[in-house]
Amino acid sequence: MRTVRKGLLVSLSGLIIVLLAAGTAWAQSASAKASASASASAGDSGGTFIEGTINNMSTVNPWKAIESPEYEVLALNFDLLENFDKSTLQAAPGVATSWTQSPDGMTWTFDIRPGMTWQDGQPFTAKDIAWTYNKTLDCKLGNSLDYLVPEFTKSITAPSDTQLVWTTKVPTSAPIRPPWVYIAPEHIYGNDTCDEISKEPFFTEGHPMVGSGPFQLTDWVKGQSWTMTANPNYWGGAPHISQFKVVLYDNSEAMVNALKAGEIDYTNLGSVDLFNQLQSESQSGSTNITTHVGPAVTFGQMSFNMCDPTSPDAAAYCKNNPGTGNPALRDPAVRTAISWAIDRQTIVDKVLAGYGEPGTTIVPPFSSFYHYNPTPDETIGFDINKAKQILADAGYKDTDGNGILNDPKTGQDLNFRFILRAESDIGARLGQYISGWLKQIGIATTSEVVSDGKLSQAWLSNDYDMYIWGWGPDPDPDFILSTFTSGQCGTWSDTCYSNPQYDKLYKEQQTAATPQDRQAIVFKMQDILYKDIPEIVLYYDKSLEAYNSQKWTGLEDNTSPQPDGFLWNQYTPYSALTVQLRSGASASSGGTTSGLLIIVGILGAIVVIVGIVMVARRGKSEEDLA
Amino acid sequence: MGTAKYLLGKLGQLFITLILVLSLAFLLFRVWQPGDPVATWAKASGAKLNAEQLDQIRHEWGLDVPLPRQYVSYMGQMLTFNFGTSTILNPQESVSSMFWSRMAKSAILIVTSTFAAIAIGVLLGIYGGWKRQGKVDQASMSSSMILYAMPEFVLGMIFILIFAATLHWFPVSLYESPIPKTGLSHWTDVINHMALPWLTLTLAYVGEFYLVMRSSLLDVLGEEYIALARAKGVREKYVLRKHAVPNALLPTITLVALSFGFILSGVITVELVFSYPGVGKLSVDALRQRDFAVLQATFVISVIAVLLANFIADLTYAYLDPRVRRA
Repeated sequence: MRTVRKGLLVSLSGLIIVLLAAGTAWAQSASAKASASASASAGDSGGTFIEGTINNMSTVNPWKAIESPEYEVLALNFDLLENFDKSTLQAAPGVATSWTQSPDGMTWTFDIRPGMTWQDGQPFTAKDIAWTYNKTLDCKLGNSLDYLVPEFTKSITAPSDTQLVWTTKVPTSAPIRPPWVYIAPEHIYGNDTCDEISKEPFFTEGHPMVGSGPFQLTDWVKGQSWTMTANPNYWGGAPHISQFKVVLYDNSEAMVNALKAGEIDYTNLGSVDLFNQLQSESQSGSTNITTHVGPAVTFGQMSFNMCDPTSPDAAAYCKNNPGTGNPALRDPAVRTAISWAIDRQTIVDKVLAGYGEPGTTIVPPFSSFYHYNPTPDETIGFDINKAKQILADAGYKDTDGNGILNDPKTGQDLNFRFILRAESDIGARLGQYISGWLKQIGIATTSEVVSDGKLSQAWLSNDYDMYIWGWGPDPDPDFILSTFTSGQCGTWSDTCYSNPQYDKLYKEQQTAATPQDRQAIVFKMQDILYKDIPEIVLYYDKSLEAYNSQKWTGLEDNTSPQPDGFLWNQYTPYSALTVQLRSGASASSGGTTSGLLIIVGILGAIVVIVGIVMVARRGKSEEDLA
Repeated sequence: MGTAKYLLGKLGQLFITLILVLSLAFLLFRVWQPGDPVATWAKASGAKLNAEQLDQIRHEWGLDVPLPRQYVSYMGQMLTFNFGTSTILNPQESVSSMFWSRMAKSAILIVTSTFAAIAIGVLLGIYGGWKRQGKVDQASMSSSMILYAMPEFVLGMIFILIFAATLHWFPVSLYESPIPKTGLSHWTDVINHMALPWLTLTLAYVGEFYLVMRSSLLDVLGEEYIALARAKGVREKYVLRKHAVPNALLPTITLVALSFGFILSGVITVELVFSYPGVGKLSVDALRQRDFAVLQATFVISVIAVLLANFIADLTYAYLDPRVRRA
């Protein structure tokens, strides 16, 4: 009898499972209907635009932000003093509607847009800007401190609610770079000490982040997703979409699958292979995804150890940490020969699958106003014979007949330690190509593929000959130019390069009175580096984007900067304002609901059958035993 | 008396192992890490901070004091379960709260799938060992071999390919839909998202439990006391239930405890494949972004979990087999 009851119990639990499945199916179809009708009434405005990313957001404190998702949120939640121009990324009217520079070049006066409000309804005035800038300077806050030129800013004041005056000790065009410091509300953070402001979370559950931008961060599930809600009172006009959401994935494959399944709407892809796959599918018309090749904002560089402790110009850090750099690399002829032996076009074609441009100077082309393009005469191309000739002219010969050139000063083989990044997908492949070319000109390399930790240790202790890493500069060239000044040796200098003329020009570009004057100096600095070759800019890699074009519109006509800009703008809020649902597209995201029910149903059915069999069989065996 | 001594001995071993592992973790994360963690983090993340600001961060991370002092404060923190605040992933946030909010999501996966794997594996193993070479045994033997040999991430990717990308029965990844649902739909949505990772973890470990249970039962069934029981005329089912299975379970319990560590590492790969926001993903995020506070915490808590699982296995063992207590 006991076993019969057991069998019945199993059957019963199976039945309950089946009923539960049916119940949830009903609940789900009801809620699906409800959301479908909600989206139909919303029409073409509204909807949530969902981005997939593999980069986590750690903080939204504007002074603590570093990673790209953080800047994406801040750019939508806050304003800068000026906007980035949509095409050139130069200063354009924004919060400041116009500005004038005094004849001596040392006083800038900005007219601040009247009638602006913070997202909590409080008035936004010039005093908020003055407070933000002064706090940044007083507390030495953040990543963007140098934009406020602390060395020669005399004062930043707000004589009235609609006027900001910035005076400096020397003429400068720094106030219209534009300064990349987000304006924070004084009425909320005004009483914070330096320590408190640098620890402010700016967003906590239930307390949306208060800024003045077109969107407001209203929800943040750490390590999973974050949601921004449209600000209908934005001074530049209300966005079409009602929400912008970012969902964090761990791998690009899952993200692309989610894009194709309609679970997300947009992504900026790091993977060339996945992008190619999406592109071929979109060309064959088998998906609703449109791909877009954006601007080249980052570059890969090959750096030489330039720390020469015997040089009178050597940086103090280099003298204290002389390291192990091969002295042969301090000979410009060797570096020039290496530069001629590298086929940058092949790197772009084979390593970047064509999604890049051969590299030249350290200010990337997207920063169009300040990017210096070497003249055809100056351009270093790919010419193995020329590279060999340069080395032969400088006295490098293979004296011991082992196929490797010898340094005429020391008699040693030209064999360089070449450090490559294990944490980069392409580090090792780049190294193979370059080592192959260098071998052709009689230079041997000893490659080491190491972790970033190990590479940064080698780099900071000048314990290397050459290495490959990369940079993602801002639209303004000041920071990337600063990394070649001798004062940056031991902090941000890639190579411990030291050149008094370059250092002088760096100061001059900071104090150039107009952007045009500054441009001329910035060009000259890039030219010096291009010819002196402390490092080789190998390539500029392009950003690769994809979005659901069946559902969304308003992105492709609004790329920024021009001509080859981002679909989803990185420095400007423009595309966040123009993106909207395609007419007739549903606002509810795609997805799957049936799978669970199918499985649960099958499981339930199995349990029922097992139960019935048990009842039948146990009944029989009881009889046998009797 | 013997039991108390046995218990104390095991507890002592547990504590010594814990101290050793914690010291090893300190060496791993603080001493043997090449490079200055602040400089590496800054360069890799693109933080454009000046030298003075970088020094400030070194101070905030507690890296500007000598190593022996770092070690003492580290041990104090770890043994009191005070894991400090996150440095990079979510600055100022307490590591414990980050950990527990993720742990809840992982725990559901780990506990339910482990129990399911044990139940299915052990029951099939008993049946297979009992009805050796039967149809059920042959079928479960070959599928167990395949599941046992296959890494979790491959299994997960196969499921994504079949059930998510092709059949669209289940979502590809995540814990819930990008636009969250409410009420009952929220929970079906969550279960729906959990289904494939759960299935992957369960099936990945079924094979192991099946194989061990089956072979151990076969060993026991060949013992003389089983033959004696049968000769006495004890019914076959009674022989199995009272004489064979309890003895055959011993090696399986060891395996369950041992495999707890493997399941924890399996969860990491499965969570990554499905972008499922649990502890495994948290530890990988911490590793990627070099958040040493979080990394240490996940490491230490995983170690403690494995040690505890082994401790419990020892106790169960002693309970099931009195000889262990006396030895």
